[in-house]
Amino acid sequence: MKNSVTLPITDENGYYEIRLESIGGLGANLCGKMLGELGLKYLGLNSASFSSYGSEKTGTPVKGFIRYSGPEVDIRIHSPIKKPHLLAVFHSALLTDASVLEGCGSYTDIIVNTVNGKEQESFLAPEKYHGVYFVDAQKIAIETKSRVNVVMLGAMAKVMGFVELEALNAICEASLGKKYPAALSGNLEGIKRGFEEVKKAADQYLDGKSRQAERKAGREAETVEGTLDVPVWGYETAPIGGVNPNYGNSVVNDLSPSRQGYFPIFIPEKCINCGLCDTTCPDMVFQFQKGEFKGREMMINKGLDYYHCKGCLRCVDVCPVQALVSGVEAEHPGKEYFMPNQELLRSPVNYEKAGPDGYVTSESYLTEQRMKGGEV
Amino acid sequence: MQECEQVMEFASGNEMASMAIRQIGYDLMGYYPITPSTQIAENLDLMKAEGKTDLIMIAAEGEHSAAGICYGAAVGGGRVINATSANGLLYAIEQFPVQSGTRYPMVMNVACRTVSGPLSIKGDHSDIMYLLNAGWPILFAHSSQQVYDFNIVALKLAEAIRLPVAVAYDGFFTSHQKRRCMRFERDEDVRAFIGEKKEPYPFLDLEHPITVGAYMNEPDLINNRYQLYLAMEEARKVLPRLFAEYGALCGRNYEWCEGYCHEDAETILVLLGSSYDTAMVAVDRLRDKGKKAGILTLEALRPFPEQEVAKKLGHASRILIADRQDSYGALGGNLSMEIRAALQKYGCVGKVKNLVYGLGGKDFYVEDALAMFEIAESENEEFPAYYGVEKGSPEKAGMEKTPFFAPLCREKTQISATIVKEEKRCEPETERKAEQENKAAKVSERIRDCKQVTGGQINQTAAVPKRLAPGHGACPGCGIPVNVNMLLRAIEDPVVLLFQTGCGMIVTTPYPKTSFKVPYLHNLFQNGAATLSGLAEICYRKQEKGEIPKGDIVFIMVSGDGGMDIGMGSALATALRGHRVLLFEYDNGGYMNTGYQLSYSTPKGARSSTSHVGSCQYGKHYFHKDMPELMAAANIPYVATVAESNPADFIKKAAKAADYAKKEGCAYVKAISACPLNWNDAPNKERRVIEAAVNCCYFPLYEVERGITTLSYDPKQNGKKIPVLDWLSMMGRTKHLKKEEYKEVVDSLQEEVDRRFRCLQAKSESPYL
Repeated sequence: MKNSVTLPITDENGYYEIRLESIGGLGANLCGKMLGELGLKYLGLNSASFSSYGSEKTGTPVKGFIRYSGPEVDIRIHSPIKKPHLLAVFHSALLTDASVLEGCGSYTDIIVNTVNGKEQESFLAPEKYHGVYFVDAQKIAIETKSRVNVVMLGAMAKVMGFVELEALNAICEASLGKKYPAALSGNLEGIKRGFEEVKKAADQYLDGKSRQAERKAGREAETVEGTLDVPVWGYETAPIGGVNPNYGNSVVNDLSPSRQGYFPIFIPEKCINCGLCDTTCPDMVFQFQKGEFKGREMMINKGLDYYHCKGCLRCVDVCPVQALVSGVEAEHPGKEYFMPNQELLRSPVNYEKAGPDGYVTSESYLTEQRMKGGEV
Repeated sequence: MQECEQVMEFASGNEMASMAIRQIGYDLMGYYPITPSTQIAENLDLMKAEGKTDLIMIAAEGEHSAAGICYGAAVGGGRVINATSANGLLYAIEQFPVQSGTRYPMVMNVACRTVSGPLSIKGDHSDIMYLLNAGWPILFAHSSQQVYDFNIVALKLAEAIRLPVAVAYDGFFTSHQKRRCMRFERDEDVRAFIGEKKEPYPFLDLEHPITVGAYMNEPDLINNRYQLYLAMEEARKVLPRLFAEYGALCGRNYEWCEGYCHEDAETILVLLGSSYDTAMVAVDRLRDKGKKAGILTLEALRPFPEQEVAKKLGHASRILIADRQDSYGALGGNLSMEIRAALQKYGCVGKVKNLVYGLGGKDFYVEDALAMFEIAESENEEFPAYYGVEKGSPEKAGMEKTPFFAPLCREKTQISATIVKEEKRCEPETERKAEQENKAAKVSERIRDCKQVTGGQINQTAAVPKRLAPGHGACPGCGIPVNVNMLLRAIEDPVVLLFQTGCGMIVTTPYPKTSFKVPYLHNLFQNGAATLSGLAEICYRKQEKGEIPKGDIVFIMVSGDGGMDIGMGSALATALRGHRVLLFEYDNGGYMNTGYQLSYSTPKGARSSTSHVGSCQYGKHYFHKDMPELMAAANIPYVATVAESNPADFIKKAAKAADYAKKEGCAYVKAISACPLNWNDAPNKERRVIEAAVNCCYFPLYEVERGITTLSYDPKQNGKKIPVLDWLSMMGRTKHLKKEEYKEVVDSLQEEVDRRFRCLQAKSESPYL
């Protein structure tokens, strides 16, 4: 066993706590496991790790929790981490969800996977936290043929300050190298570049030593208030038996965070209104209405309900006349032919940003797929 | 005895259970995947694929069968293991007293999860408490370390007293959280501790035949039961001895119940499972403030250690027992009732309170433990029955004043885009001629008539309002909503939907939201078809009585292929009874909702989390189930297969099926349904993958209408026929089969596919086959 590293800050229980905020498919689950194993086997610490249970469909918000303590401390607490010392946000779109920053405060370092750090600062108010860091993990992952999770791992090691790159390489070789030797060099490169390229957003904070004192005090201080875990209905207001009379109310979900950069663009001039897109769309995006096409009365494609489009691009693949094409969403902020669901009697007051939900609680198979770089 | 070499692991409870099972060297595991215990079978399957264990692993079609497989193997003298949770435990429950009553040892892990319904997958203790009366000793582990240790001790206990033993632990909190654990380095040390298995009456000794499972009434049964009682009392003596032996090997010593700071405590909180560990932190904080707080947990529920519990609690002046389950109407959960009884029996005088907390996996924080200590110490005699419930506020209630959609009444959906008519299969002229040629032909030998669909065009049917609202949580590119929408666009009558458990149900109804605009019911997937039978019959009765308006309503069950495994009996029986319902199966070839375990419809050779690919295993080792032919054998009026790659055919069959379901009896339609996540292919390419499945004849399109089979599409005639391998190569789950080493597997699948297709062709050519 190696000598134990010294944790820069711990809470009243002796824990250094890390929370990962991600969406299914980016590998946060595996990253959390690697961090846990890293602590126990390579840093001489005690550690525990787990994920938010019941959410591993593609695009689902996923949280990962890792606790470190000195080797002599038992990690007894089983509940999720509310006040992390390190928060890693694997997808910048998650910042629009207030719960992601819940419990963060002056003791928290935040790392965001972002293309353009500047834009994200407005969400983050860096002065509230110990430090805010950005890394373009997606780009590094593509360039190194690795995965977002290993790049984030490198960035986190750098920000934590007590993890050497060698230890990361060792855990990576041990957990990924044996099974997927082909992917190893890319992953190691991804870790290294994450470690090297993570950048601090603003530097209004103090120097090393006084900063640590500041952090400890901060643990009890101001934190971002949470809104999680408050049910809409309670036992006095919920219909008995779990009955839900609000038929079709999932329509208030805005599923656009599920899209991973691409979305279908509609070119009505080319459309022959064959309706194949409507048969292949899992998300009821296409708005067909009665009309006339080439002198015949038929159903006409009037547009797309982008609130509910998850960007699967099935429609692009089936369209026989290229009236639907794939586009990079960021390059089309206007979203022409955006037509909310036409069967709605009234518009939802607020569309609620949501990812797909559900549960996949088995990890072994998915992990394998992801390490192979599968389309997961 | 000397301590054995140990190694450190960073592992979850399920992983530690799997390691113990592997090291023990069990003979057989019979199981059915259910969250959160599934990982055990998955881990072991992976080990098996890599040649690290030779455990026989049998994935049953449901927990009831899994328990039966285990029982049979135990009777045969094998060392047998099972793992389950929640409704899986309940589904199997009638088997457990059979096993204990006939005295066959085995071990079953129970990763505790809340019992449905409403369905939740999270952890509480409502399942394990159902096992209290089954005659099984029950050990309860509150840490991953204990899961490992108890698994080893459990088998030795089981074989010592000839009873099956359960090892229970918290679902997710213990089953999934990875922590520092120790395990024996050498398997031999584990095996030496357990020792050789002894069988008092070897069943497979043909020289000495025995009868197991007698028919036994009075005056004998009570004596048999008393033997069971005595065995459990024997466990009371044996377990401490085994704990001591085991402790000598590893340095970890266990007792019936474990306390923390309880010796001098004035207030003691009693908790089961992982909450005990979290509550230790609360005790430390209270002790820092000078408060004499302590906690206690039980490590065995059966036999119930009443004396030890009373001894450890007796001195306390205030006791709060927190139940993670309720015995509704008993004013507490089973743990608190049994502890209250023990305290009374041993004359303890402390004030006892109890409450229910943490149901459905509601997280338990240190602050909750502190709040419970406050409740315990409060002078107020009253205490809340439940801790952590929310009243809810009318403003926040979310009861929308006006609905988002107009109800889909008959007028809205009946637009005559698709019309079904009865049609003579033969022209009257031809039929008369046929009769003349064969004078003996009776009416019954005539070719039965069929239904004809007009309309059903893709564009026109787009006008039928969707019964599903958008905003559901399926993965991008998921085939389930595609297939459900395709089915429903052909059906213009009002529909009532029943979904069996599966992805389709989970992603559409996460409370308090729902994607259904029509009446919708969920039932667990071994019972959806039966439930729909009852629902449909009551509707028809109410219509007869005039209690609800007359008019056709189509009752539709939607199920995955997983539901059609565990619910196969229910579906076939519903078909045999001839209820007027439509059973719709979306077949993605796996239990995708729980992380893709193999289903009976998974293609041979496919990788899944319970059919790993490794040096010793090539994926699933048997052929896909032919559910349409099973349904056809039930002689229902209509069976059809559909694929989204052939939308016009899909719509016509859906319309026909609905017409049969309304007028004649049971109709069954099966669609092949894409799962980009677990097929491991690109979401946008799924229709092509499905088209390939059809073109390689793995998923032939046909219908069996009033007993007459008709192929709807012959890829060969259309010049589209491809080898099965071309389809398999399109999916990550079967891509490995391209390798030369798997040629035999692919060839056997090709041969089976061709054979089944030739059968269909032959049937299609003759109305009598």
